[in-house]
Amino acid sequence: MTRYEKAGAAAVALMAVAAFFIFVYAPEDALQHQAQRIFYLHVSSAIAAYGCFAVVLLGGIGYLWKESLVADRLARAGAVVGVIFTTVTLVMGMLWAKPIWGTYWTWDARLTSTLVLWIIYAGYLMVRQLAEPGRQAARFAAVVGIFGFVDVPVVHFSVTWWNTVHPGPVVINDALPAQMLIAFLITMACTLFLAAVMIAIRYRIEALLDARTEHAHAPASVVAKPEVGRAKP
Amino acid sequence: MYMVIAYAFATLVLGGYLVWSLRLLRELSKKR
Repeated sequence: MTRYEKAGAAAVALMAVAAFFIFVYAPEDALQHQAQRIFYLHVSSAIAAYGCFAVVLLGGIGYLWKESLVADRLARAGAVVGVIFTTVTLVMGMLWAKPIWGTYWTWDARLTSTLVLWIIYAGYLMVRQLAEPGRQAARFAAVVGIFGFVDVPVVHFSVTWWNTVHPGPVVINDALPAQMLIAFLITMACTLFLAAVMIAIRYRIEALLDARTEHAHAPASVVAKPEVGRAKP
Repeated sequence: MYMVIAYAFATLVLGGYLVWSLRLLRELSKKR
C-alpha cells in the first residue's frame, strides 16, 4: 500500500466518522426533518471548494511570479478537486431545495454565483485540456485562476449583499443547536482532509503526466540515456 | 428520500473520483 493509498483509506475512514455524526448523532430538525441533514456535507463541500480555488489562486500567482512548475501543478490539482466539490455542493443544494422551496433551482444570487464559479473553473480545466502544454497555456490558465477567484467572495457574501431566498450564515450567527454544530464542524474537518488528500493525489498524477510529456518531447539521445549502463540479460 | 439521493450522489462522486485517481496513479507509477 502506497502512502497515497493509506491517505485515501484514512480519508474514507474519517468520512465514515462524519456519516455517524450526520445520521446518528445530530438530531432531526423540527421544521425541515431529514432534508436538513443535507446541510452538513453541502456546506462542508462548499468550504472545501473555496479552499481548492485558493490553491489555484496561490498556484497561479506562484507560476506568474517564479514560473514554478510546482505551483502550476498545484493549481491544476486544486482546480480539478475544486470543480468536483462545487458539483457536489450544487447538486446537494438542489436536492435540499426541492422539498424545502418546492423547486430544484431558482436564479437566486447564491445559486447563480455558485454556478458561475463552477463554469469558471470547468472552463479553466477545458483550457488546460485543449491547449498545447507549455508556458503560454500555463500563463493563460494562471490568469484565469487568479481572476476566477474573485467569484469566491461574491458566492460567500451573496446572502448578505443581496436579498436571497438562500439561508444566511447559521454557524457564525450562532443559529445551530450544539449537537448540530458539533456534527457540522466534524463533517467540515473530515471533508477538508479528504480534499487535501485528493489534491495531493492529483498533484502526483500531474507530476507523472508532466514527466511523460517531457519524455515524449525529449530528443532521442536524451530518451535513450537511461539505457546506458543497463546490465545485459 | 431527497437526503438519501443527495448522499448517494456525493458518495458516488467523491468516492468514485478518489478510487479512480488512486488507480490512475498506480497505473502511471507502474509505467514509469
